[in-house]
This record gives sequence, C-alpha cells and structure tokens, in this order.
Amino acid sequence: MKLALFLGCTIPTEQYAFEISVRETLPKLGVKLVDMKGASCCGCPLRSVNETAWLYLSARNLALAEEMKLDVLPLCNLCELSFQEVTKLLASRPDLKERINSLLEKEGLHYRGESQVKSLMGVLYDDVGLERIAQSVKRPLNGIKIAAHYGCHTLMPSEYERPDDPWNPHKLEDLIRAVGAETEDYREKLACCGALLVASAEDALAHVAWSKLKAVGDRGFDAMALVCPFCHKMFDARQEAFNLVVGREHVTLPVFYYVQLLGWAMGISEKGVGLNLNMSPTRTLLRKVRRRRKS
Amino acid sequence: MVEPRIGVYVCHCGLNIAGSVDVKEVAEHASHLPGVVVAREYRYVCSDPGQQMIREDIDGEQLNRVVVAACSPRMHEFTFRKTLQEAGLNPYLLEMANIREHCSWPHEKEPDLATEKAKALVTMAVAKARLVEPLQAKSVPVEKSTLVIGGGIAGISASLKLAGQGFKVYLVEREPSIGGHMAQLDKTFPTLDCSACILTPMMVDVSHNPDIELLAYSEVKGVDGYVGNFKVTVRRKPRYVDEEKCTGCGTCATKCPAKAPNEFDLGSGTRKAIYVPFPQSVPLKYTIDPEHCLYFEKGICKVCEKFCEAGAIDFAQQPTDVELSVGTIIVATGFDLFDPTLLREYGYGRFKNVIAAMELERMSDASGPTHGKIQRRSDGEPPRNVAFILCVGSREERKEGTEYCCRIGCTAALKEAFMLKNKLGDDVQVFICYTDLRAFGKGQEEFYRKVRDLGVRFIHGKPTEIHQEADGTLIFDVFDTATNMFLEVEADLLVLMTGLVPSRGTEELSRMLKIPLGQDGFFMELHPKLRPAQTAIDGVHLAGTAQGPKDITDSVSHAGNAAAAAAALMASGEQTVEPIVASVNPDLCRGCGRCEEICEYGAIQVQEVQPFRWARVLAANVNEAVCRGCGACAVACPTGAISMKHYTDRQIQAMIKAAVEA
Repeated sequence: MKLALFLGCTIPTEQYAFEISVRETLPKLGVKLVDMKGASCCGCPLRSVNETAWLYLSARNLALAEEMKLDVLPLCNLCELSFQEVTKLLASRPDLKERINSLLEKEGLHYRGESQVKSLMGVLYDDVGLERIAQSVKRPLNGIKIAAHYGCHTLMPSEYERPDDPWNPHKLEDLIRAVGAETEDYREKLACCGALLVASAEDALAHVAWSKLKAVGDRGFDAMALVCPFCHKMFDARQEAFNLVVGREHVTLPVFYYVQLLGWAMGISEKGVGLNLNMSPTRTLLRKVRRRRKS
Repeated sequence: MVEPRIGVYVCHCGLNIAGSVDVKEVAEHASHLPGVVVAREYRYVCSDPGQQMIREDIDGEQLNRVVVAACSPRMHEFTFRKTLQEAGLNPYLLEMANIREHCSWPHEKEPDLATEKAKALVTMAVAKARLVEPLQAKSVPVEKSTLVIGGGIAGISASLKLAGQGFKVYLVEREPSIGGHMAQLDKTFPTLDCSACILTPMMVDVSHNPDIELLAYSEVKGVDGYVGNFKVTVRRKPRYVDEEKCTGCGTCATKCPAKAPNEFDLGSGTRKAIYVPFPQSVPLKYTIDPEHCLYFEKGICKVCEKFCEAGAIDFAQQPTDVELSVGTIIVATGFDLFDPTLLREYGYGRFKNVIAAMELERMSDASGPTHGKIQRRSDGEPPRNVAFILCVGSREERKEGTEYCCRIGCTAALKEAFMLKNKLGDDVQVFICYTDLRAFGKGQEEFYRKVRDLGVRFIHGKPTEIHQEADGTLIFDVFDTATNMFLEVEADLLVLMTGLVPSRGTEELSRMLKIPLGQDGFFMELHPKLRPAQTAIDGVHLAGTAQGPKDITDSVSHAGNAAAAAAALMASGEQTVEPIVASVNPDLCRGCGRCEEICEYGAIQVQEVQPFRWARVLAANVNEAVCRGCGACAVACPTGAISMKHYTDRQIQAMIKAAVEA
C-alpha cells in the first residue's frame, strides 16, 4: 500500500519523534509513504475565523494528493478531522466546491474528492492488520501494562467518519496487545488531555491533564500510549509543569506514541523511533522490559 | 334573481372594536352601498337584543341578505347563522366581515386607518353578500357502532363507556392481549395502587360485555367511507390456536420445549413459543410464535397439540380479513418507549447495570422476570446505590431525541424511588438527576414531598457521560445547579427514564384515516383546548397517548371525552354535513383526475357517467359527506369545472373588485 504522507505544522516543527517513528516503522509493514510536494497547513486553525481559507487550504492539500493519485495519511489528528469535515462538506455543497475550485485553478489544481483520508490508527488496524503486526514483533513488550489514550478527535465528533466507535473504542487496545503488552479498559479512558485549553485556561489544563496521568498511574498502568501529537505534547512534555501547578502528589508516567512502541517491538533502535526526544521516562521502562527478557 | 335587500350590523364589541374603529362612520358608509337597505351599529350584536334586532329587521325590512361586521367567523358565524334561520332566512345568506382580529386589534394605535380598513372590509362583505346563494345542509345517518383501535387503558375505558350506553363496540388490539403499557406496570403513581388490581377487572369487563366484540391479535388494514358509515377491514393474525376451543389452561406452555425472550418484560426473562403475554391476559387464549416454535422452524415437536385436551392447536391457521361497518372510530393506539440505545453516552446496552425504567418496573412486579426482586444485572445481588436519569430522549435538542416533555417521567421516578426504599430498606441510596421536577397532577406534589422525606437525593442536573469501573460500578459526574456543586456519583444500578414516542404504525394509520399528525408525530386534535378528542375528520376521535404523552389519569379522562363525542354522534343517529363543499360542473369536466390526486380526504373520484343514452364519459364526482371544503381541487382543476359553494369565483372576484375600488 502506498500513501501520501501529510505532516501538517505541529509535527515537523516540534513533534519530530512522531515523524521519525512513522517513517521508520510503516515501510517495514508494507506501507510506502510518499512525501507531498508543496503541501501546506491544513487550514484547521483558521476554521472559526475564515471558513473559506480553511476550506481552501484543506481542499488544496487533498487536491495535491489526488494529483499523486494516492490516498492521504495525515499524521496529526486535527489535520485528519479537518480533511474529513471538508470532504463531507464539499460533497454536499456543490456551490462551495465550485468556489474553492475556482480559487485552486490559479495553481492548476482541481479538487474532486477522490482521495480517501486515512488515519494512522485505521491504517495499522484495518489495512496492516493485527496479525501482520504480531508477526513482525521481535521484542514483545511482555509484562508491562499500557493504558490506551485515544484522544478526542480520534473519536469525535461522531457524525464524521471516525476510525473507531466513539463510545466504545477498542482498536488502540487491540494494537497494544498485538505488541505483547497488557492493557485494560479504565474509567478515564475517554477523558481529554486538555490541550485545547492551552491558550485560554492553563491552570485548568494542568488539572485536567494531571488528573488523567494520576488516574492511569493509580490504576497500575506502567505507561500510556497515544496517537495524537497534541495529546503527546501535554502528557509527555509537561508532566513537571503540571506537578508544579497542581502542587499535590508528584506524578511521573512514561508516555509513548503507539507507533514508537510498535517500532521498538519490531526491533528498531530507541533512536530509530525517536525515544531520545521523549521527555517522560520512556527509556527506563524499556530497559526494564529488556532486562526482564534477558533474565 | 330577487333584488338583494341587505342589512349591515356593525358591532362595537364593547371597546374591542369601537375603541379604535369609528363604528358610526362604518355604518354610515355601509348604508350607501348598493343593495343595503338598513345599516346599524350596536354594542354587542351577538347578545340577545342584538340578535333580536336582526330578526326584527329581516321581518320588517324584508331583508334577504345579512352582513355582520364583528369578530372572526370562527367565533360567531354559527351564532348568526342560527339567527337567520330563526327568522326564516336560509342560514347561508349570512356574510361576516372580521373587523376585530383583522382590523381593530392589530391597528389599535391608528384609529383613522382602522376605520378606513373596516369600511373596506364591510364593502367587500356586502359585495359578496349580493351574490351568495342559499345552501341546504344534508344529514347522513350514523350507524350506532364504534371501532376502537388499541386496547390499552384508553381504548378499554372508551369501549366500556360506549358499550355501557348500549352502542356496539369493536375493540381491535394488535397484541395477543389487551392491557397495553399499563399492564406492564407494577404500581401507579401517586396513589401506589397496584396497576394490575385496577386494570384487570376492567379487562375482564371488556371480555364479558356482550356489546363489545374483542378482536385481539388483529390489525386495521383499511378504512373507507365517512362519518356515520365507515367500512373497516381488520386482519386477524393467525394464533395457530383456535380461540373458540382454547380454554386457557396453559398445559401447552408447560409442555412446550422452546423458549423465547419475553417482550412483555422487555426481553429480560423468557416465555415459551406458545404463550400468553402475562397471566391476566384477556382474552386468555394462547398464541404460537412461529419464529420460535420448533414445528414452524424445523418441522418437529407438536408437543402442544398432543397435550391440548381441547384440540385447539391448529398449525394450518391462515390470516383472515373481517369487514366491519361502523358509525364512529376512536384511535387509542398509545405510545412506544424511547429507545435508549440512541443516546450512547448513557451506556445502555454496553453496561449491564444500566437499565430502562420499564425494566425496573417489570423487575418489581411479582409476575415479572425476577418475581418482584430488585437486583443488579451484573451479579443478581440487590443494588445499594441506585441513580435515576430523567428526560432520557425527552426535552432533547439533538435529533436522536424528542423536543417535548414525556409528562410521566418525574412522577414515575418518584414512585420507583419509593418502591426501592420500600423493598430494599431505608439505607439504599437513591439519586434522582432531573431537569425540572414536574409533579403537577393531583396528589403529585404531596407525593414528591413524601419521597423527599424518605431521604431520596435530588440532583438538579443531567450527567453527560457514564463510566464503568472494572467491577461493574457505574460512575458519573454531574453539575448540580441547585447547590452549584460538581458531584461525582457512584451507582450500582442506573435507571434511565425513557421518554414517550408515537407508537409504531402511527404514520400508516394517519394515512389510512386521513387524520393529520402534529409536529411531535402524535395524532393532532381538532382544537388543543376545546376539542382535544376530535380530529379533522368527522367521526374519528382520539383517546389517550395516541394524541400525545399523558399519564393514566389523563388518558382515562381523554378516553371519556372521545367516548362522549362519539356517543353524541351516534345517539342522534344522524349528522349534519356542512354544505360548503366542492361541486362539479359536468359540462366542463373532462375527467382528467387532477382533483382526485390532490384531494387529501379522498372525497373526489373520477367515475364513468352517462349523460345521454349513447354517450359514456369520465367526470369527477364529489362525496359531500367526505369533502371538507378546503378548495384545493377547485385550484387544481384546469377547466374551471370545480367550484366551491359559498366561495365561488364570481363571489371572490366581486370581493377583490370591491377591495381594489375601495
């Protein structure tokens, strides 16, 4: 399978580990990634300010993928949702589609809506499949228990096509089990990371995120696995800041992109999946796994 | 044609009209209009002396047309028609000018303009009055029998009331037994009567009443005709048990090896493939469910047949159609419960200990699936912390739910909270999360106080999402606006108070009977206050929740209203039919059938007629008893063959001309 890789803004500017681990891991599972020449912002941040600009930018990137005759894989959850929303909206509004296409014409582009929008979790679960993933695992993560964090945009809003059941998701947990780790349902599974509060209510954000980290630790999980760069920015990088703001119990939890765990389990080096860039104590945990495997 | 002699009467309506319209000037203006021989103004034309004035003028001035400029014809047209009739004039020689709702009220602050407009309205009415013609109201005979559709509490009440007055009643119920939702309840609020104890005697009365013919396990398939003379087709579904022979002994069900989920208990608990829905079923006749019967599924078994001493089992039974002829119809088709799986955040169907209120009701019932024991689904133990969420699917802004209030949820939750305290002891915790607590009926506020005193906790807020712990405990956050506090509630049983929606088949029945549905999807009444049980179709009435959510008290009252309205039609044995209907000029009609297509009431049919012995042509024919006089056909008719009596093109054009010239 061959996909156009759409990186968006957040990943190439600050979430390098996500990009590194995806570029290393996916080709080994038979997913060929092709870079998109001339890709721009998905437009999502402009959505509530200038709808046309949002539609134009998303449609422009989708038109680029169409020109490549490939389905598109946006790594970031916000980009993915934005593409899905625009696809649905333009399909039902020929007038808008025509207007956007008249803007795209200047670049010689044309949006038809022929490229499918993929999500990373969907590609791993539905296209690669649990079986192939399990077969490719060389260092199973036996003996550690990992909490699944789906993130809001993976599941909501449910009126758009989402990669999993919004109220009862299971794919990420199945993927965690496929690399040999344990996992289980927990009450706070669907709780938010708080990232969208970052500009307006940082204190509240600290409490929201800290509470989830604490709950995951209290429930006996060794780590958290997630799929969204915004969730990762909160849970991986800001633990010390949250501890400082909340000022109660000190919480530390290793937080991974799921694809980092997958790559490592497939035998890719720590650096190869960008673990040197994680700020939570991920490597200590993996060392433990390795030691346990040796003994 | 006799020269028109018109009397015009301008009403003051106290200050309602005279406050802004110069009534003297209007009367003076009217007196100069062509054809007018007398024009007067009076304080209240509708009063006795007012009507007397008109009658005296008809006599003294030899009036042959009357114009009353007063309120809306919806208010008093009928009154003044009677006045004309009493004076020996045809009642349809009346014309009303609405100078109140259409003039003095909206133009209260601009008296000069109001007076001018009143004059114009009177000029138009006089112009039309010159052209109106006498009409003869016909009457149709009304058969003294009723079809009641639906055998819940409303249908049962209406049937008993009508049969008690000697009218023949056909009661049609699609389930194997009558009883409806009320039969599923354990107790009724706010009196805590045992539901079965007050319902089953009425059900038995139905089965014993010689004037009621009960057609259970049957559905209405077609309705034709009009008030007084409806032709109804009822399909009797095969029970595979001969109703005449079955004694209801129940040996067959004891011996039957095939089990099925019991719909009466909402799928919790089982019944046999040959069954009665509940022990007090009426008629007490067994029914084979072919979807679960081993004989119908695999061609084996037939154990019931072997053991039935009455020889009532008949695997070869086929559906049969029965034709009924009735004078009136009562629709008592009730409601369905809202499906809580549509609101996924509450976890119904996903978490074992989340149940619907009707399931709790069945659990509490001695003949229910747990024989009256309240227990958790997860482990069969009695719950210690029970939470209710009210308005599930009701008062909902999202498309999955309904906008209206279910009108029973609040008090039903109070009753169930009371039952829980009663059955499980005072130390069981009960939380009720409500939107607004509406305990509005008689005795309900007092009951609310009683339940509060039991220590039930009321939370003014609706949870947005339910979570489950690994051990099955349910946890939710809720913001209590009564105390401004964010609460975390832990429950081991969560009860969803699901709303009421129109029963399945409502739309189909609405098409069959040609009675409209309201925006909420329930059948629409003729007037929400004054004619709550009548419909747009004469002779078709509504009883109970078919018209909208109601509790048992209101359903029974409403059924009484429907029965009284039906009885009034049947007692006199005839019904006057409004003569303002469509009429066809056969010389202009080309039989194209556009009128037939557009008529919502099925009042027009294109038929073959024989104007001369040698000629057969197609022409539209209006059934005057069915026609509602809406005028749609007259608009659709391409050749101008159809006109509306009392609203002919000539009459309307005269009004328009008068309006333009004024």
